[in-house]
Amino acid sequence: MTATAPATARSAVHAEGVWKIFNEGQPGEVTALQDVTLDVAEGEFVSLIGPSGCGKSTLLRVIADLTHATRGDMQVAGLSAAQARQEQKYGMAFQQAALFDWRTVRRNVELPLELQGWDKARRSARAMELLEMVQLADFADHRPWELSGGMQQRVAIARSLAVDPPLLLMDEPFGALDEMTRERMQNELLRIRRETGKSIIFVTHSIPEAVYLSDRVVVMSPRPGRITEIVPISLGERTEDTREAEEFYAGVTAVREALRGHPHDGSSVRARVGEV
Amino acid sequence: MAHRLRAVWPPLLFAAVFLGLWQLLVVSRDIKPYLLPAPSLIWQNFSGELGLMSSTALYTATTALLGLVLGTLVGLVLALLAQRFIVVNHLMTPLAAGLAAVPIVALTPILNNMFDITSRTPRVLVTMIIVFFPVYVNVMRGLVQVQPVQLELMRSMNAAPGTVVRLLRIPNAIPFFFTAMKVAAPLSVIAALVSEYFGGPQLGLGSRIASAAANTAYGRAWAYVVAAIITGLVFYLAVLAAERLAAPWTGRSRST
Ligand SMILES: Nc1ncnc2c1ncn2[C@@H]1O[C@H](COP(=O)(O)OP(=O)(O)OP(=O)(O)O)[C@@H](O)[C@H]1O
Ligand SMILES: [Mg+2]
Repeated sequence: MTATAPATARSAVHAEGVWKIFNEGQPGEVTALQDVTLDVAEGEFVSLIGPSGCGKSTLLRVIADLTHATRGDMQVAGLSAAQARQEQKYGMAFQQAALFDWRTVRRNVELPLELQGWDKARRSARAMELLEMVQLADFADHRPWELSGGMQQRVAIARSLAVDPPLLLMDEPFGALDEMTRERMQNELLRIRRETGKSIIFVTHSIPEAVYLSDRVVVMSPRPGRITEIVPISLGERTEDTREAEEFYAGVTAVREALRGHPHDGSSVRARVGEV
Repeated sequence: MAHRLRAVWPPLLFAAVFLGLWQLLVVSRDIKPYLLPAPSLIWQNFSGELGLMSSTALYTATTALLGLVLGTLVGLVLALLAQRFIVVNHLMTPLAAGLAAVPIVALTPILNNMFDITSRTPRVLVTMIIVFFPVYVNVMRGLVQVQPVQLELMRSMNAAPGTVVRLLRIPNAIPFFFTAMKVAAPLSVIAALVSEYFGGPQLGLGSRIASAAANTAYGRAWAYVVAAIITGLVFYLAVLAAERLAAPWTGRSRST
């Protein structure tokens, strides 16, 4: 199995030899990312999975230029990570919805457009279009606190799509949702992806979720955080029956074994259990 | 509407029972007015001199309002500067804490000598300083205590630092601001009133309470106290109304 495709102009994300060391040379030194090399093709759905503390969020934050890599090369949409952020080449959804209580749902979705200097009418029309997409148009004038957790998360996703970025970065966006809502959100995300053709990097703790959504599942392991295996998934078009399909279970098993089959075996399993 | 009535009834009932018992106590035990005047006597003085009561209250309220507005402005500006420039923060934090420990009203006689004693200025200054402290501390907290994820969100959307202040830090500080105002507004009335005890024009509630008490007009003195309570209450209710209007999300956000 090849871990990475060669870097081409069609890479949504191209990471090569990326290291992130917190507090380098100081007592609390942590190697959050060790020599991470990863290519995400345009339109590809890649999940990051691994025990708590293995550097998934850190990798996402380096891609998003929310923190700098200590060493290595990170390109997003053919640009440096900093340029990509400045040019709004990605949209980000965090584990918390991070909505502003002082804005209505619609004006929360408008926020990135406002920062881009869109005029009011265009902004509002675009926000309504996105709320339509996440099926929350009826709640446009509500305040965030009037919405359920799942609805808030959908608003956050709509907001991350607002400037129509080619890449979506999602850090456990469905982590706080119940199983039913979660499955519905997964289907909505796949629908949005079908409709928009975006590349998506998706952090999750759930093996079935990673398998159901992804073209490839990147398995990471902690201390130091690194990629141990990349599991390709080929389930074709997702349908009602996908979650019961044999290939689906095969994918789940493959990812589970990738998570286990690693020298630090015991500790990573314990980390996962301890965290749940 | 029904639930609003339900919220209003208990305190009203309590007040009625309290006043009734007070009246009963004074009458049955024949307590002298200099110890405790009966509510009926206070009411008589209050309602008999409504014009005087309101003009006196208005004088003190004006001092309080001037001090409140100016003190709030200074608190807001310094909080914004302190959030922006770490130097100002290092300078202000011990100063603000030190100021909180100083009995500011005690400065009134000194200020009376520094400024024209026939003017309001010394009293407004005292009120200002007293108001400044809760406003500065609370607003500063609101500007700084922003969810880290919201800051990262703003950065991910490539927001300039000034934009982060305008669209995130300031709105985030608004509920904190109203918390401060709920303390500062009634406090400004107290400060304006107490500062009248130290000389200057004798037109306000503080001066008149003192002189009525000195002239053994206890019913009158208490009537002015009632006027002072009403003034403080009006200030407080005005803040509540402004909060409803300007920050309807306050206290309703879910903690996610
Ligand atoms: N700002 C920071 N300073 C120091 N260490 C940090 C910082 N951020 C993350 N780390 C460390 O880097 C490592 C990776 O953290 P990260 O948040 O990326 O893990 P994660 O895989 O996202 O975990 P989880 O699944 O719990 O979200 C952890 O050991 C963490 O303690
Ligand atoms: Mg994380």
